[in-house]
Amino acid sequence: MSRALYTAAPPRTVWESINPLRMIGELSETRYWMYLLLLPSALLITAVVLYPTLYGFQMSFREMRLNRPDVGTDWVFFKHYIRMVNDPIFWLSLRNTAIWVTSSIALEFLIGLTAALALNRNLPGTKLLAVLILLPYFLPNVVAGHMWGLMLDPRLGVINDLLMRVGLLDGYKAWFADPKTAMAAAIIVESWHSFPFFTLLIMAGLKGIPADLYKAADIDGAGPLAQLRLITLPMLKTIIAAAVILRVIGLVNSPDLLLILTSGGPGRSTQVLSLYAFQMAYKDFNFGYAGALSVVMFVLLMGFAWIYVRLSKVNED
Amino acid sequence: MAQTRSSSKLLWDVVAYVIMIGLAIICVFPIIWTFLTSIKVDEDIVTREMVYFPTRFTFDNYVKLWFQSSYPTLVANSLIVTGLTVLICLLTGAIASYSFSRFNFPGRTQLMLGYLVVRMFPAVLMIIPLFIVMRQVGLLDSTVGLAIAYTSFLLPLFVWMLKGFFDSAPKELESAARIDGSTRIGAMLRIVVPIARNGLVATCVFVAIAAWNEYLFALMLTTSQGSRTWPVGLQLMVGEFQLPWGMLAAGGMISILPVVILFAIVQRVMVAGITAGAVKG
Repeated sequence: MSRALYTAAPPRTVWESINPLRMIGELSETRYWMYLLLLPSALLITAVVLYPTLYGFQMSFREMRLNRPDVGTDWVFFKHYIRMVNDPIFWLSLRNTAIWVTSSIALEFLIGLTAALALNRNLPGTKLLAVLILLPYFLPNVVAGHMWGLMLDPRLGVINDLLMRVGLLDGYKAWFADPKTAMAAAIIVESWHSFPFFTLLIMAGLKGIPADLYKAADIDGAGPLAQLRLITLPMLKTIIAAAVILRVIGLVNSPDLLLILTSGGPGRSTQVLSLYAFQMAYKDFNFGYAGALSVVMFVLLMGFAWIYVRLSKVNED
Repeated sequence: MAQTRSSSKLLWDVVAYVIMIGLAIICVFPIIWTFLTSIKVDEDIVTREMVYFPTRFTFDNYVKLWFQSSYPTLVANSLIVTGLTVLICLLTGAIASYSFSRFNFPGRTQLMLGYLVVRMFPAVLMIIPLFIVMRQVGLLDSTVGLAIAYTSFLLPLFVWMLKGFFDSAPKELESAARIDGSTRIGAMLRIVVPIARNGLVATCVFVAIAAWNEYLFALMLTTSQGSRTWPVGLQLMVGEFQLPWGMLAAGGMISILPVVILFAIVQRVMVAGITAGAVKG
């Protein structure tokens, strides 16, 4: 009976039934086409993101030392996490991460907002200036780090020379060798590198604010600062919230710039959590402990994101 | 009243110029300084008295770096990894963002959110398992392996950014093609892709720059000359050979040249895409 049904379909030549182009064309008319389009990328993301992350979670409960095969890879349950609680370097890194993230974001936001407001006036020449101002964001960490390393060099650095010429410094200063200034110097380099991200997003947000609002405020006699506080910033709230959270993720997760500038030194004055975890894996080959450190980092980040989104939603109501 | 307002506008215009020009100088100065250093002779770099403009110009630093170090190999490796990353993103990501942009189906919102959330996963947490897995399947220390690792953070970004461009391409032409008997895939390839061409190029360039610049994954996942990329190689040269500032500056200039050129060419479309993707996210 089923045979009779098949023969009822229009006859096909052999070539037509195996022609790949035709087959894909027919496939694209099925109900599952949208899922098929997603399949390759979903598989890839599963393989390179989800699987490694889960692997990382279970790794944090095991002994895993690449340079010590003799200790094996047994389950050690919460050993690494207990070690962490008693590890002063962990607590120091956590504190440094908080300083690193909040100071960088505050600085990046302030510069980014100022730049966006200035660029948004659309004065002649703005297009060229915008390209120059946005450029640092696209430069590699490695080069950004070395450019500033050269400029902040204790003996050959141009910044020391300039600061001495204008009388702000008495003698050449070793910015990255002094625990008191190393973090501040790194934050300045990071802010130089990433403030254009805020500029980009805020500029996009500014374009969406209706000009009528400002005209009305003008008539009511509100000055530019009042307009900024009462119109611009409230209208930009969502975008600023999104930008801040993306930057927090970026700053917490990537130790690149600090790895290049200071490697966490001098002492441990610029040791942040991501850097500690990376060095634990890359230098000490203690994958279990490194995994536990990154799991804690991940959980803290997720917790932060959750609270932050909740808070910014509450404020909207 | 009208006069004070126009004079106040003038004042704020002046302030805006001061801010923009000041920031532009701060942004560009490190690049110019690095360039000046790269064309200085050693005696002008290591001095007691700061030399701002070189007394003699020289391209020795570039010549030495290019012909006496492994820099050309490093650049070639980076080019291969970057090309492969863009290719993988293009093949798997373009159809995914098309699907998100054009179809409404159960699970769409959740899946899109998933593509966003994976960006939150710490690189360090993924790098260690990736190292172990890549070693098992023999992809450790290979350009293919590194490119696949890069898709972990670049593919979600690619999908989101490109979706923004697909969203802004009109749907009417596609419907017309469908009525004329074109299959869905035919309409996608012949109508939508050409319309969104600029966005596609900009998205690819953005991913290419990110892959070209990447340091952390490359440091962990490459171990030899065969696949090492320039950021890792340059960093190693600094550590091992005490690379002189002049040559380091030359290396920096060579490696940012493609970025600066690409950014200058596609910046307007790219900037629109980044903001569209981030705003909706």
